[in-house]
Amino acid sequence: MNARLASQLVGLYPQKWRTRYGEEFQTFLETYPSHVQTILNVIGGALYERVLSLGRLTMDRRQSSLALMLYAYLSAVAGSINFYWSVADTPLGAAMHSHPWLFTSWNLVRGGSLLAAVAVAMVGSPVSVTILRTALSNRRWDVLYRLAVPPFAALVILAWMAAAASANTGHWVPTPWDVTGDWTAPQNWPPLANRWTLSSVTFVLMIAGLVVSAISVRQAIRRSDLSRHRRLWFTVPSTLLAGSVAVMTFGVLTWGWLVQRYAASEFHLRNGGLFTSTNVSSWALSSLVFLVATVVAIQGSRTALASEPS
Amino acid sequence: MTRSTQDVGGQDRNLGRYSDPPLLVLTSLADGPKHGHAMIEDIVHMSGTRLGPGTLYGAIARLEREKLIEPLPAVERRQPYRLTAKGLLVLRAKLATLHGFTRAGLRKLEAR
Repeated sequence: MNARLASQLVGLYPQKWRTRYGEEFQTFLETYPSHVQTILNVIGGALYERVLSLGRLTMDRRQSSLALMLYAYLSAVAGSINFYWSVADTPLGAAMHSHPWLFTSWNLVRGGSLLAAVAVAMVGSPVSVTILRTALSNRRWDVLYRLAVPPFAALVILAWMAAAASANTGHWVPTPWDVTGDWTAPQNWPPLANRWTLSSVTFVLMIAGLVVSAISVRQAIRRSDLSRHRRLWFTVPSTLLAGSVAVMTFGVLTWGWLVQRYAASEFHLRNGGLFTSTNVSSWALSSLVFLVATVVAIQGSRTALASEPS
Repeated sequence: MTRSTQDVGGQDRNLGRYSDPPLLVLTSLADGPKHGHAMIEDIVHMSGTRLGPGTLYGAIARLEREKLIEPLPAVERRQPYRLTAKGLLVLRAKLATLHGFTRAGLRKLEAR
């Protein structure tokens, strides 16, 4: 087998495995003929090692707590975006001004989101500094690349939306909440088929951005030593995050219940819901995402509280 | 573990083939250190099974992780391995179990 093929096959194995066996395994492979059966056997071995390595990627309680906080926060962000866009510039927004309790529940969500951001900043700032400092001093570019994924994903999504909007003379921004519904689209908006396509791309980019960001940051957390941070740095923000996400969830649920009482007809229109769904369906989706975020945030807080003191 | 081994005999040989790569590697090292190619040839001679390179190194990695084998200094770019004391104990125990199991199985067959 030639050195290039052997090197490519060795490259299929997990990095940790390659560090230990890569060189000797490549030398060993170079003495083998390039039979399909041999190549398949090596590919199978690489897949097997990759699956095994997944099981070995254990994190300590602080790292797990941080990862759970990350998932909870990203879920809350996703739920908030859907909730906000389902209400903004719709008759439901106007209804809130005539019903104080409706506005109060909306403000609960806003207040909760502010507290959640504070909690994430509390834990995120010192931990980010530690991860960055350790990665730079140890030349761990793999960690730095992973930390760069969330801002890069956000930039890609914003750049896409800006490019698509400017291509449509700036009259319409491709979001999944402005495709069609029980309303007449302005004349200067692009045709419906284009709106569907462009909004779907935005939606896919948003979901992919969230998932890839969560995976990348989790991997960066796993590769970093957080044991030097005081336990308090995890317990307080994680508890604050769990509380704030719970407040947001309560706010969203209460808001839906009140809207059903005060503005039921508008609530059941297809007016700002995700793609062409009704506002009530879009609200239900947000509620579900918030409930999941609450459970994950509580689990993150419990994990932080169960971590060993430093 | 029965994956990725290549039979070197005919159909009859295949029927009696034994394929547990980690145990085959341990057994191959029972009479002294060996490098990859020597292990493969020894295993073919013992069991009729030719391990593929991916399977062999999968077994080596697993056995080294479990501290049953250890590497020796490389000789002419070839990496030999040998059994550790723990590996020797585990191999004895496994072979004794297999031996008892084989005898019991053969007795049952003879009683038919």
